[in-house]
Amino acid sequence: MAKLRRFWGWAIASMLFRLALIYFPRNLNFGFRPEIATPVTSLRRLAEGYWLKQSSMSPYAGSMYHGSPLLLSLLGPLTAKRFEGQPSHIACSLLFVVADLVTAMLIRTTGQYLQSAYSQSLKHLNLMRHLEASAFHPAGDIAALIYLWNPLTVAACVGSSTSPIENMMVALSLYGACLGLSPLAAFGWVAATHLSLYPAILIIPVILLLGYGPDSPPRKLFLGRNFGSSGYESLPQACHFSWRPAVYFILWASIWSFFVLVLCSISLMQYGGLFEMFRRTYGFILAIEDLSPNIGVLWYFFAEVFDFFRDFFLIVFHVNIMFMILPLAMRLNHRPCFLAFVYIAISSMLKSYPSVGDSALYFALLGWFVNELADMKCSFFLLCGYVGVTLLSPVMHNLWIWRGTGNANFYYATAMAYACLQIILVVESVSAMLHHDRTMKKSISQS
Amino acid sequence: MATADANAGVPSSQPSNPKPRPIVRIGTFLISHSALFSLICCAAGILALFLLPVLAKNTYVSENALMPGSANPMFSNHDTMEANRLVKDIMDLKLSSGIAGIEISNLLGKYMRERDADVYHHNFHVQKNQFHLGNFFSDSSYSWHMKENRSCSQYGINTVAIIRAPRGDGKEAIVLVSPYNSTNIRLSDALSLGLSYSIFSLLSRVNWLAKDIIWLAADSQYGEYASVAAWLKDYHNPSFLDSDKSDDCTCPESNALLSSKGQPNTGGSRFNVFRHAGTLAAALVFKVVDGKEETKDTLSIYAEASNGQMPNLDLINIVNYLAVHRQGLHVKVAKLYSVLNSAWLRTVGQIFEFIGKTAKIVNPQWGFGISAADYVEGTATLASSIYYQALGIPTGSHGAFRDYQIDAITLEMSPRFSLYNEVRRLDFLLRGGRLLEGVIRSVNNLLEKFHQSFFLYLLSAPSKFVSVGIYMIAFMLLIIPLPMVAASLYSGPNKRESSARTNNENPDTAAAIVTSSGSKSWKWLHAAKVVFVVHLWAGLVSLIPYLINQLPERTPTACMLVWVLLSFVSLIILYWIAGSPYSYKISHQSPNMEWAILKAVMISVASIGLGLMSIINYATAQIGAIFMVPMCLLAHPLKHAGNAGKLRVLSLTTSNMVLAVIGFPPAALLLVKGWLEGFDGVSFGDFWIWAETLWTWNSATYLYLVLIQLPCWVLCMHILLHP
Repeated sequence: MAKLRRFWGWAIASMLFRLALIYFPRNLNFGFRPEIATPVTSLRRLAEGYWLKQSSMSPYAGSMYHGSPLLLSLLGPLTAKRFEGQPSHIACSLLFVVADLVTAMLIRTTGQYLQSAYSQSLKHLNLMRHLEASAFHPAGDIAALIYLWNPLTVAACVGSSTSPIENMMVALSLYGACLGLSPLAAFGWVAATHLSLYPAILIIPVILLLGYGPDSPPRKLFLGRNFGSSGYESLPQACHFSWRPAVYFILWASIWSFFVLVLCSISLMQYGGLFEMFRRTYGFILAIEDLSPNIGVLWYFFAEVFDFFRDFFLIVFHVNIMFMILPLAMRLNHRPCFLAFVYIAISSMLKSYPSVGDSALYFALLGWFVNELADMKCSFFLLCGYVGVTLLSPVMHNLWIWRGTGNANFYYATAMAYACLQIILVVESVSAMLHHDRTMKKSISQS
Repeated sequence: MATADANAGVPSSQPSNPKPRPIVRIGTFLISHSALFSLICCAAGILALFLLPVLAKNTYVSENALMPGSANPMFSNHDTMEANRLVKDIMDLKLSSGIAGIEISNLLGKYMRERDADVYHHNFHVQKNQFHLGNFFSDSSYSWHMKENRSCSQYGINTVAIIRAPRGDGKEAIVLVSPYNSTNIRLSDALSLGLSYSIFSLLSRVNWLAKDIIWLAADSQYGEYASVAAWLKDYHNPSFLDSDKSDDCTCPESNALLSSKGQPNTGGSRFNVFRHAGTLAAALVFKVVDGKEETKDTLSIYAEASNGQMPNLDLINIVNYLAVHRQGLHVKVAKLYSVLNSAWLRTVGQIFEFIGKTAKIVNPQWGFGISAADYVEGTATLASSIYYQALGIPTGSHGAFRDYQIDAITLEMSPRFSLYNEVRRLDFLLRGGRLLEGVIRSVNNLLEKFHQSFFLYLLSAPSKFVSVGIYMIAFMLLIIPLPMVAASLYSGPNKRESSARTNNENPDTAAAIVTSSGSKSWKWLHAAKVVFVVHLWAGLVSLIPYLINQLPERTPTACMLVWVLLSFVSLIILYWIAGSPYSYKISHQSPNMEWAILKAVMISVASIGLGLMSIINYATAQIGAIFMVPMCLLAHPLKHAGNAGKLRVLSLTTSNMVLAVIGFPPAALLLVKGWLEGFDGVSFGDFWIWAETLWTWNSATYLYLVLIQLPCWVLCMHILLHP
């Protein structure tokens, strides 16, 4: 009970912290930072799109807005609302604070569910000694607190970018999938994909989650243990793929996407319809049209590359993500939530307009596996690296853009360092997870 | 750093891998001998710092388009007469104190209009810089200015004239600034106005101008910087809404005077309209001082802007080239005169001279030796260059331009003879005029912004510089031991523990291994928490002056006392909330290991902080590193020093105590001040006064001291007092 109260205390404190920061937005200017507001997620651009639409023009006119038309209808009226004496966009900022809280709650519940399911399957394997020996941390609480107190999340929330909403949709989808609620999972997945395209690859972990249930030790361990004693039927859910929720999910996903598309086409009826939307949102993301600096690695590359190689490299970079999907899915299919974390980390590294909001999400998901990843290597180095890069990036930007004494290479160097850190994080966490599986296998064979 | 830290966790956890990659082996080798290597690196860093004057290169004009001195000067004796006429007129003005400024600016306006220039008077209010957190690094275009109570008492008038270039498109402009004190005008001020005017009138006649010329006669009664900064702010952020109204309302009499005197027919408002030329390509601040030099007419160049930013080296190059080779002036940059007479520096110089000579005997092509006198001279100049950059306070009104990415320098001319000597004065004016004309003509040739030459450099003589590629070596050598020692401290306990574990390992307790290895990988969490709390506290400490500034009737000593008191109280409160750093004890973590890990985390954070600071302001980071690196490396608990020999314990303790004193910023300042000026005049409030100057100038040095050096010192204290 005391723990619960402590959790809520910290959660409320984080909300208050955000509100305090929202009240001084002009001192911070987070909304202008390229690390926080990308061309796809910037709320300033959304306000511009809304203004265009209000004056009976296509919201996509003039290459300012590149988000979803539905987001425009939801958030647009809020951007136009002004209160006397209050900072502009305060309504939206409050909405983002709420979105962050909801995301944290979803992450917490999912984490708690994951943990209880995991201890169930450990019991099944007679590995309870694991649980008793190691101090089992409350993974859900930790993940939620990481999400709420991560400076990157706070910056993304205060800096008026729409990534809190996108993160909420991803969390919703994973939550629905964990609890076996196909319609909810499908809704989250469709909404997240509609908003930022890259969560589309989460369809694999979501289906695996629905089919196999939440993360568990490797399936071979169950098979080796249980065949002798009681036969195939008594195996936990994790060992056979149940098709029914997966099919439901696909059905619901098609229903939801049909629904979303209809809404979009109604919203854009006079302005070129769905084709215009696809061209200006997904086309903008895939073709990397905006080469203004961000923390990703692609803008500099595509600013330098010769025009006739451009298409080739576009394909190479996007297929890069695709190449990693299948092997990872095969190796980690017994841990769909961890797979989702890896996918999100990889896509936030290779996406065309990354922002710190993406890293905020995968750090929180990392919190789910705090018990499994206890012996992750390089953790301290990663912390130092992230702190260093987060501080260095604005300084380099200042040196390049405002002082004029640096150049683009200075800033791009921090972007590359950031990408390297993400690679190290993914590699180390995956190898720690596999190592954990191996230890478990060893301890089973010993006993 | 990457390899060193990445390897920190590797060696113990992969016993099965018999032969790691070479880079890993190099890393482990370096880490295992970190004490030796850090000693070598630190010594090399200090040596490299002293070698900088030897390594300085001669400057050269890098941008071809500049072509300094390629045209014959058109500035003639006729123009000097013109200048003299204005000087006489200014000095003849009956200067009653109240309206003197207006009289002069009206006179200037009259002269400027004779040359068919666009003239206007720029009224400005002096805004006293208050402590405001958002001001650090805030870019001028986004910065948020507080509305303050404007009063007529702090009110100045700049007179501005613009010549439109006959060959230009009006997109670029060169600024000529001549500051003068309107309340107490002296002959030197009048001369700089006169000379600027004669240049201006010459430029209004020439046909080669491709950039507009703006002449800003800056009213410097509230400081040179304030007037120029106010004009630049209005130039770049035109305010359409309230400025005219408030100006007219608050100070009606000054406006009335200005308008009635100037042009009674057309009405004064015409001359209050702010006019623009194009983007400002470069700016020259021109001053005459009555210096009485010994041998030659002298030109002093001041270039340091806020936070150690410098103008492009090419600008200094052309000025230096024209002054030395065309006008025969003696060119100076600032020096630390106290360094010049130091005996040990001369000895160091003689050693370097000897080495250089010996090297020349061995191979005649090695010409790196410089004479001892040159070395001392170069060191004094370099020291002043580093000092002014580290302070982060601009050395003149040129600093205001750098905030808008405009290259600017101050040229300060002082004649050999008295300024009242009429004949000599004309000759002096001729030289100064030709120099200015040459520089403006050269800058006028530019096709793009200054970009060819260096922005990051230190001057060791007017014609010698040390570029970023060289001075960074000294800094890097000094800072490399930090990540190395952090890695060795971090991996040290790991090894000890794993070896202990292999000795008494029980094959059955697989789960126990999982546990212990888990806490091993994340064992830094507690230390990180302590470091984080201390840094959070430092952030609070940096904000406390904002509160103190709200107090009425404050003296520096009282402010300092309140600051220290509040800092101390907030530290205690934070520990009460987050738990004291010594409260954490778990059975398998020995106290020895605990402080080692705290030290590792502290050192990593310190190296991140120093690295960041070296990018923001190299000079601050260099000076800070000299204090901080030994303090970080030598920190050792006083209670646990007992294992080694007695001499070693004694020396370690003494050096720790000494470093603990000089590592604390206020103590260091007081010591330096006492050493330079005698300990009688030192008071407790001095640090407050100093810090106040730093934040009124938005110097990042303040942030460095409070956010990086102070928490590092506090953490060192923690380690020293570790139970």
